[in-house]
Amino acid sequence: MGPADAAEMVCAAALGESAAWDALVERYARLVWSVARAFGLSDADAADVSQTTWLRLAEHLPRLREPERVGAWLSTTARREAMRARARARRDLPLDDLDVAQRGGDVDERLLDGESAAAVWEAFASIPPPCQALLRLLLAEYSYAEISEALDMPIGSIGPTRGRCLERLRVRVLADSTRKGALAKTTGVA
Amino acid sequence: MTIDFEANDDELMAELAELVDQFDPVPTAVVAAAKASVVHTDLDEELAALVYDSDFDDGTPLPGRGELARVRGSGGRRLTFEGPALTLELKVQTERRLIGQLLPPQEADVEITSPGASFTVHADALGRFVADDVPAGPVRLRCRGRGVNPARPTRTEWVTL
Repeated sequence: MGPADAAEMVCAAALGESAAWDALVERYARLVWSVARAFGLSDADAADVSQTTWLRLAEHLPRLREPERVGAWLSTTARREAMRARARARRDLPLDDLDVAQRGGDVDERLLDGESAAAVWEAFASIPPPCQALLRLLLAEYSYAEISEALDMPIGSIGPTRGRCLERLRVRVLADSTRKGALAKTTGVA
Repeated sequence: MTIDFEANDDELMAELAELVDQFDPVPTAVVAAAKASVVHTDLDEELAALVYDSDFDDGTPLPGRGELARVRGSGGRRLTFEGPALTLELKVQTERRLIGQLLPPQEADVEITSPGASFTVHADALGRFVADDVPAGPVRLRCRGRGVNPARPTRTEWVTL
């Protein structure tokens, strides 16, 4: 989707066309969600950040100065809300817990169709949230310009960071499987 | 599904795409709430922007931050909203209790709205009001002055308490 389409959707939505608003949500819901996840927020906090961001867009819609940059507007708003949410979480959590408060979604073991998928997801959930967010946004096929705005990262560093994040994921999966292997050996429990 | 770690980055990304869809899709409730957001739009009132949040105070002065907002105290989160005609100072206490001050001081009906519900409290002639059992999640306040020289109707930006 190009910027012109985004601007058209914003203008139509501002005139009350609910189909255009729904299309905006479909297009950018994952972007907003991923930004919230980039701050390591829980499901409930990420849901609040998402809802507040969309409510704010709805009230600012007719006043948006650059409708073609609605993706950037959503990113900036979601990032600011996520920082507030993290500040509130920080107030409630001991500082030491913050670094390990990195998370992905909840994994229901019964849903897994293979051990290796579970292991890789566990590893993915344990790499730094900004790494997870970058990979999620790339997977959702947002443009480099949108990702740059969403994560406040120069466009030129997206490619190299993607490589480093994937490398961290590989190392993490290998380390986990090695550790589990060693544990099985010493305890006799597989 | 098995992951081939000798795979190149592009192949690994393709495999990750399946994992994200399987384990952490954007929840359908989150998408539904986003779609419902637009029904809360109302353009008749003036917008009061959030200019100060004590939870988000890194010491950097924000543009437009009110003089009063710099008076910080202990005991709860403090928020300041500034509109063209009205400023709202809020203190969030425990038990989801909000204490508010309208500036300039005036008598008003203050409606506290969340996406699912709303209720109204009364601000006295000195512009003071108290609201209990404020719902968690996004809320906003609408103020409709009803004393002498009331400010134009004003609503705050949405904020998550």
